[in-house]
Amino acid sequence: MPEVLKAPLVVEFPFTRSLGPVQSAFLTGLRERVVLGVKTADGRTLVPPVEYDPVTAEELRDLVEVANTGTVTTWAWNHEPRRGQPLHAPFAWVLVRLDGADTALLHALDAPGPDSVHTGMRVRIRWAGERTGAITDIACFEPYDAEPHRPGGHTGEFADPLTGIVAPARLDYTYSPGRAQSAYIDALSEQRTVGERCPSCRKVYVPPRGACPTCGVATAEQVEVGPRGTVTTFCIVNIKAKNLDIEVPYVYAHIALDGADLALHARIGGIPYDQVRMGLRVEPVWTEGTRYPDHYRPTGEPDADYDTYKELL
Amino acid sequence: MSKEPVAVVGIGQTKHVAARRDVSIAGLVREAAQRALQDAELTWADIDAVVIGKAPDFFEGVMMPELYLADALGAVGKPMLRVHTAGSVGGSTALVAANLVAARLHGTVLTLAFEKQSESNAMWGLSLPIPFQQPLLAGAGGFFAPHVRAYMRRSGAPDTVGSLVAYKDRRNALKNPCAHLHEHDITLEKVQASPMLWDPIRYSETCPSSDGACAMVLTDRAGAARAPRPPAWMLGGAMRSEPTLFAGKDFVSPQAGKDCAADVYRQAGIADPRRDIDAVEMYVPFSWYEPMWLENLGFAEEGEGWKLTESGVTELDGDLPVNMSGGVLSTNPIGASGMIRFAEAALQVRGQAGEHQVDGARRVLGHAYGGGSQFFSMWLVGALPPET
Repeated sequence: MPEVLKAPLVVEFPFTRSLGPVQSAFLTGLRERVVLGVKTADGRTLVPPVEYDPVTAEELRDLVEVANTGTVTTWAWNHEPRRGQPLHAPFAWVLVRLDGADTALLHALDAPGPDSVHTGMRVRIRWAGERTGAITDIACFEPYDAEPHRPGGHTGEFADPLTGIVAPARLDYTYSPGRAQSAYIDALSEQRTVGERCPSCRKVYVPPRGACPTCGVATAEQVEVGPRGTVTTFCIVNIKAKNLDIEVPYVYAHIALDGADLALHARIGGIPYDQVRMGLRVEPVWTEGTRYPDHYRPTGEPDADYDTYKELL
Repeated sequence: MSKEPVAVVGIGQTKHVAARRDVSIAGLVREAAQRALQDAELTWADIDAVVIGKAPDFFEGVMMPELYLADALGAVGKPMLRVHTAGSVGGSTALVAANLVAARLHGTVLTLAFEKQSESNAMWGLSLPIPFQQPLLAGAGGFFAPHVRAYMRRSGAPDTVGSLVAYKDRRNALKNPCAHLHEHDITLEKVQASPMLWDPIRYSETCPSSDGACAMVLTDRAGAARAPRPPAWMLGGAMRSEPTLFAGKDFVSPQAGKDCAADVYRQAGIADPRRDIDAVEMYVPFSWYEPMWLENLGFAEEGEGWKLTESGVTELDGDLPVNMSGGVLSTNPIGASGMIRFAEAALQVRGQAGEHQVDGARRVLGHAYGGGSQFFSMWLVGALPPET
């Protein structure tokens, strides 16, 4: 059996977030070295602040400043910091109840080792040198034994508030197309298109998935299809996509290769885009060093009769 | 034991727009939920459970909305569920909520769906660079355009039908204050002159990207009896799924859609949908899907749906109005779009659709689909409770 393919798949996107009034004040405050909480109707101060009371669901807007010193309420040692975490050297994840707050904030504590950290220890914010209005404006917490900080009376009104942030997300996957598609891709490298036949309904799947989605049974019998096929339907793409290196307009077609029971998708070339039609007979055009046919071109055969492919639409 | 009848007693929507930069996602859903509570004259304490739906995670990068939004939706101490079925999610979310009432698990349930398309990029989310695959296409339009062409070939519909749908829906949107697109100077000529994006789909025949949320309060008979305004009664509701691609799949008229509609009609005692149903809010992200779904849902014979559109039957003052609200073509916060269809159907039978009200609408279908035409969810709502 050929080796199953694997490759990294990185999914990343710079999502934007509108902050709304409470998060706007909180993050703008961090930029100005002011920590803001929000007061609930029963007099508690929530830090970080939230827009809606977690108990009563009432809207919360009464912002109050709290101290930049506080007490560790619990912690966990991080032996191996990963990319994007607050500190490069091992550190403690801590929940810190800032003086004046009733809830705790999650952050990092810069400490020499786990033996130097304990619940109840006093800590203080170490501000980042360059601040933009983000939770990372707090570089981390550090141990602190002196007098508690006395907060000012900031109410959360800022001249130049931050209203939105960019929240980049990144996920690192190892992608494997599995046994059946690996075999399909291997065959493509020999310029052959090989599908699999369902033992139950006898339909030939191209590309194969290793199982028939209709019958729910495994497929194994390999069947070479094509190379010729019929355009069952298509569209003419007139808008250029950022992530695709294809000149527009181009024809994106569904092609039922001879012997296959459903259409695969490919680009049509070798014919003006406005002359492509349903029923057009096509064949693959391979280029050196690519995994897939670059495109399909007309064979010159007469068009297929609609009745021969209408079930494959 | 028979099911508990389910009533819609509160409906709330945000004004759908291209970008709501003034609110967080929590603020956005809160707005819709509070409007639904106000409509029902209820408070957070009256809600027994919350069921929320949104678009696929990569569409806006929120993986666990139920975690993030519990405070904003007053879910503390209550069950909170998240539903996920791609574009049909707004419909299936409402049905999961309705089933909790029908099963007598909860008396009153808040259901809500949302999306902030301005904070993300759906076209990117649909075009992830999967290794070993040949990148050919970006976005949903290119995916659906070949199926539209297949419909045109199969039905012999004249190629103007899509533009008629878009022109109608954009004019309907002018009567709906919540709709995103309000194109006051729209003309049929402008629709027909708009550029082809994915031929045969023109720019003006595609849906916009919207920020918006929709919420409903669903309740039992006792709750409906206390409601300050006329309720909408669920007469039937169903969901069906099928694979994205399989040998024999009919993309023009998927079997799962037919089966879903048949189930709803059976529950509601509908023998002839064309005769027995007064109006439809259906999920039409690209204009040609109106005639396609008219056939799939049994309002016309196969190949005949476009004739209803062309002859004006689906106009607001027609015999079977379709997408009185302006539809997905005028408003598309993807995660919420299905629920908006369901809610707009309920507004009609409650007689509360305002300028886009269909006179005498007694039974209205709400329809949603999603994925590669593979998830379907529908409900039929009526002005009168189901016969028990």
